[in-house]
Amino acid sequence: MKVTFPHMGHIWLCVKTMLEYLGVDLVIPPPSSKRTLALGVRYGPEFACLPLKLNLGNFIEASALGADTILMAGGCGPCRFGYYAQVEHAILQDLGYRYELVVLEPPERHVGQLLSRIKVITGNNSWRQVYRGVKLGYQKIRAVDELEMAIHRLRPRETIPGSADRAFLEALREIERASDLAELAVAQRQVKEILKSVPTEERDVLRIGIVGEIFTLLEPFANLDIERRLGRMGVEVDRSIYLSEWVNDHMLFGLIKGLRSRRDACRAALPYLRHFVGGHGQETVGSTILYARAGYDGVIQLLPFTCMPEIVAQSILPVVSADLDIPVLTLTFDEQTGEAGVVTRLEAFVDLLERRRRGRGRVRQEGTESKRGLRVTKA
Amino acid sequence: MSRKVGIPGALLYYYYFPLWQAFFQALGAEVAVSGPSTKSVLNRGVELAVEDACLPVKLALGHVAELAGKVDYLFLPRLVSVASREYICPKFLGFPDMVRQTVPDLPPIIDVNVNLYRRQNKLYTAFRAAGKIFSAGEARIFLAYRRGLAALGKYWKLMGEGFSPEEAINLLNRSSPRCPQPSNAARTIPEDGPAAASDKAPRPEREKPVVAVIGHPYNIYDPYISMNLLKKLRQAGVRTATAEQLPETVVRREAAYLPKRLFWTLNQRMTGAAFYFLRSGRVQGLLQVTSFGCGPDSMTGELIARRAAGHGDMPFLNLVLDEHSGEAGVLTRLEAFLDMVRQKQEGGRPG
Amino acid sequence: MVKGYLGIDAGSVSTNLVFLDEAGRIREALYLRTQGRPIATIQTGLRQLAESLPPRVAVRGVGATGSGRHLAGVITGADVVKNEITSHAVATSTLIPGVQTILEIGGQDSKLIILRNSLVVDFAMNTVCAAGTGSFLDQQAARLGIPIEKFGEIALRSRSPVRIAGRCAVFAESDMIHKQQMGYDLPDILAGLCEALVRNYLNNVGKGKEILPPVVFQGGVAANAGMKHAFEKALGLEVQIPPYYNVMGAVGAALLAREKTVRGLPSSFKGFQVAQVDFASGGFTCDGCPNTCEVVEIREEGRVIARWGDRCGKWSGALAERKTG
Repeated sequence: MKVTFPHMGHIWLCVKTMLEYLGVDLVIPPPSSKRTLALGVRYGPEFACLPLKLNLGNFIEASALGADTILMAGGCGPCRFGYYAQVEHAILQDLGYRYELVVLEPPERHVGQLLSRIKVITGNNSWRQVYRGVKLGYQKIRAVDELEMAIHRLRPRETIPGSADRAFLEALREIERASDLAELAVAQRQVKEILKSVPTEERDVLRIGIVGEIFTLLEPFANLDIERRLGRMGVEVDRSIYLSEWVNDHMLFGLIKGLRSRRDACRAALPYLRHFVGGHGQETVGSTILYARAGYDGVIQLLPFTCMPEIVAQSILPVVSADLDIPVLTLTFDEQTGEAGVVTRLEAFVDLLERRRRGRGRVRQEGTESKRGLRVTKA
Repeated sequence: MSRKVGIPGALLYYYYFPLWQAFFQALGAEVAVSGPSTKSVLNRGVELAVEDACLPVKLALGHVAELAGKVDYLFLPRLVSVASREYICPKFLGFPDMVRQTVPDLPPIIDVNVNLYRRQNKLYTAFRAAGKIFSAGEARIFLAYRRGLAALGKYWKLMGEGFSPEEAINLLNRSSPRCPQPSNAARTIPEDGPAAASDKAPRPEREKPVVAVIGHPYNIYDPYISMNLLKKLRQAGVRTATAEQLPETVVRREAAYLPKRLFWTLNQRMTGAAFYFLRSGRVQGLLQVTSFGCGPDSMTGELIARRAAGHGDMPFLNLVLDEHSGEAGVLTRLEAFLDMVRQKQEGGRPG
Repeated sequence: MVKGYLGIDAGSVSTNLVFLDEAGRIREALYLRTQGRPIATIQTGLRQLAESLPPRVAVRGVGATGSGRHLAGVITGADVVKNEITSHAVATSTLIPGVQTILEIGGQDSKLIILRNSLVVDFAMNTVCAAGTGSFLDQQAARLGIPIEKFGEIALRSRSPVRIAGRCAVFAESDMIHKQQMGYDLPDILAGLCEALVRNYLNNVGKGKEILPPVVFQGGVAANAGMKHAFEKALGLEVQIPPYYNVMGAVGAALLAREKTVRGLPSSFKGFQVAQVDFASGGFTCDGCPNTCEVVEIREEGRVIARWGDRCGKWSGALAERKTG
């Protein structure tokens, strides 16, 4: 048995750690690339959302590396994700790929259903071993989340272009290498040192909150590396959801308590969106409100084309944006999305925020908007 | 003066209108339905909705806008779930909020939650909340609710007999004196026994091929959005069969062939019906109608298409509707599909 | 001696250059077809500009914009490289103070910019589909056998425009052909096409935006009087077209260059002689990962001066390091 799984940001690190700890053979699909997308677009349903197409491409590429078992999270709707595994499996079967499918579904009746599915993968390992493996994997992505947050702060302040990104890769390798919790603690101290070595200067940077659909938020290939691009434009970003929160919700079924809670965002959304709508639609609205309250300069919503919960949120965001006076840019991604268009929009949005900030300063100082008085005469 | 409750003639109107109507009328309210879908209703919806919303939601926003300003209340129940452990779809969950944030000049919205996700939840809870607005009397609300359920029961029975939603609603309201012949071919596709009820139909009728039309009721029964699809099919000399004619038990039994239970009630019905029609051999073609941007359709549409491909010789057409569909293109595809259906009927009929 | 600022808008369809004097007056404006040769077109523009300007001219700053802004930037040594949305907004709010809405339709894309108190507060851009842009109108004019310059004039003669359906160019085109087959009048068809494009523009990029006057319409398509009329009809507002409607991006780039260098910083402009320098753009497909990025390389006299197109930054980064190191 060789287990594979779809990419979503750094989730590979978590799954790899868990499975290796338990001695399970695994194949990490090659990082999502244009080739992955091309495969997914070719074989996936035309109107399926981008994540499904990338998943499918991941599985086809992993199959070439010998994978024969798919491990995926499930769900009970109403977002399409809950039915991904089954549709993807049907497509793969028709294409002639012989994959076993193991879906971690939220238990319907009793926890035994879930445990028996996990047992398919973990085999003869004791539950104690499984617990330890899961814990280590989980702690690692917590570490990665913290690392990402630190990098979000460093990127717009680095004095040598690219040094924050190099530090990120180096730090990620440290975390990856740790094979138990003790080593992970050492690695995290190492990570702190690596981060300290990035030369920075204090700058007055713009702050943008990134909200939206989880896969597009977490997978740099899907969002055209938006965090890095913004960082290099001198913007400090924050993301409404981090991977450990998703893993807790979807793979550990909320067993870990005390994380930054979705409930805060959902509660904040209530005046505008009174009910959950699946996926992270309500969180998107709520997080936008929380970012506005926290004094962020702007918010960017990311979603895959035709994403249902995010379309509900998108319909509501203009009102939130007007009420709370915070600019919101919505970016939709699919296989047609061109890099140039995204970059132009991002640059224009950052310009808008910058000029807004300066404009505000001016208004405050002079009490009136200064206009550049230029005459035009024909040459 | 009685208060006027507006109900948009879109989305789940096609499933539940008789219940809603009877309920509000029993409480002494007047019920107003938005007019039929038209180009201008759709255009209004397209203007209001975000670009990437699906066609049915755009159309529904148009219907809501049409009612706004003309009624005292808008009835937009938040249909979270109508069956245990199932949902409708995210956009139905968020629809009342989307309306609030996009449609101007709204009257008060009655957006009671219909949520039967947990088995212990009761449908009456939603109606009780809605009824409170019109009547303080608990007993009166409960009677109105019972009357609504009775109307809904009759409605579904009529649809089971092959009447379209429009015909069935007219029959219930007695606005047209008689509509003796159901337009659909339900009687000819009985649940069990090959030759059962089909003998009742006149002979030429019986020789017409049957095409199963699978799609959301708000797509296939809306004459404007479907470009009169059902009528076109009948004019072209085929009988039509739809999911609404099949009993719930059959649909669920068939849908159970899926690797995992579907959590979308409407698509479960469509998928179960498609599987039934494919398996039963009682139809000569399967026409799937999906709308652009519909999330559940993109998934079940794929599963149905794959299942249809497994029945290699079954003519199959997937018609995707969006606000840009030109009638000419639909007609061409429909004609080619019907040629396939007739070919199959001629080639496939023994003796 | 004339001192001033150079603005270059390197677009996919046209390459525009303007020269502003220190007071912000437009001294020269050029509109050239790019014709798939951006470098040569920029060089031609520089040559023509140098010829028409007085011999002793001091360029105090250069701004580049448009989809080819990075290319224009490295070739000329621009002081500012800005996206076209910001450039258009800066130009229009400077030339037409108080503008609240900018409708911009160029050769390949369309934009809508909302300003309040001279600040951009919202914008939208359509890049996925070329329907309704200059290229599409050119195509349809050619198909109908009328010169594009006459398009607007003929459309204005319409008494009852035909209703043409379709957001997508493909739908619009097929519906238009259909209407033609049914025997409608040419002016009514052209006016109908303008109305369809305006409707789709407003439904697509204009979705949910508050369009307030003054409304300014610019970009190459603003030359089409039929489009202006259709906008006025749909919006119920007067629509202005600025005198330099087709080079506003370049004007904005020049103004941004002025803003940048006004503090006395010297310009990094390489001089008009770059028109004579041998630039070559080449490219290769990186096989470092399955992204197989097409990396573009710009060479000046054989030496690589810029690279882009790599997702991971391996190639562009290597060059940047060499520069800083």
